[in-house]
Amino acid sequence: MILSGKKIYDEHAKGRLNISPFNIDHLTTNSYDLTLGSKFIRYLDEIIDPTKINRYEEFEVGAEGIYLNKGDFLLAHSVEVVGSNHFVPIIHARSSIARLGLFVHVTADLIDIGSHGNVTFQLFSCLPVRIYPGMRIGQVSFWKPKGEIDLYSGKYQGSIGPRVSECHRDFTIRGS
Amino acid sequence: MILTGNEIQRMRENGSLVIEPFDVRQINPNSYNYRLGPMLGVPKQDQNGKVNFDFIDIPEEGYVLQPQIAYLGHTLETLGSDRYAMSLIGRSSLGRLGLFLQVSANLGHTGSCHQWTLELVSVKPFRIYPRMRIGQISFWLNDGEPLLYKDGYSLHNGPTVSKMLDSLGLDSMKDSVDE
Repeated sequence: MILSGKKIYDEHAKGRLNISPFNIDHLTTNSYDLTLGSKFIRYLDEIIDPTKINRYEEFEVGAEGIYLNKGDFLLAHSVEVVGSNHFVPIIHARSSIARLGLFVHVTADLIDIGSHGNVTFQLFSCLPVRIYPGMRIGQVSFWKPKGEIDLYSGKYQGSIGPRVSECHRDFTIRGS
Repeated sequence: MILTGNEIQRMRENGSLVIEPFDVRQINPNSYNYRLGPMLGVPKQDQNGKVNFDFIDIPEEGYVLQPQIAYLGHTLETLGSDRYAMSLIGRSSLGRLGLFLQVSANLGHTGSCHQWTLELVSVKPFRIYPRMRIGQISFWLNDGEPLLYKDGYSLHNGPTVSKMLDSLGLDSMKDSVDE
């Protein structure tokens, strides 16, 4: 079951889910709108290899925003810290953003229960588009779990700003 | 409601869902990490613009996907359930590198149980390896009696090409899919 906007408000007030800063104007019927932060990451290598550390640059964008060409891929982040020890968050684009041809995540929309931090957005544009820090770009919904809960304690816990992939760290079991 | 990692393990033990082979280290708080199977469908366009897939074994040293092309892979594991609906998505560690797993059709129907076909699309050239942990599957409770899906793609293991042309009855176009 998915929480309603009213329920998100109530559970936030009870401290059972974390959205910080919290602005009641960002509540929607079934979600909460997330704001784009000012830090971005771009990978530099021609070929991405998940077994290696891929080189990247991190940069900050001001009020002028950043222009994404068709096919550009950048990591960005939510201004908000998001997480819950009681519900499972799922990230979505706002439909107004998707209608511009912009993905805000690359098929991994599910956040582990117990994971708390800034959300890393995976921005992929299918059309040229300019985006601005501070704009409402995504939304988070919250879903009820069934079963005993083990809280997330993985490598992205406590993320501040965008976080690059740590995929190379778990390649030890590849051949197993 | 979505099953927690503990509940996925418990329901697998009592036979309510299938993950085979299973490794407890691949359990997440609310999903299970599946691995990439050895076979990959590589699209080839012929002179008439028709797309066929060549199926190759992914070499141990990896295979570089060209950007913004859809390849067909498959899960190493047999995955399914007669009780839960499923969602197959990528892992955040690979999404952060720009690898799409599934192209907007992430819903696994209750009753399906097989190696799932994966649509792989990368935003940059991307090296994949056989058996890498590539995606995650979550399990969702149904409200209401499920009509079990025992048809079409649920009968297939390994990467399976689209049967859309069959379902449209366009026999004349049939040779444009890999049969």
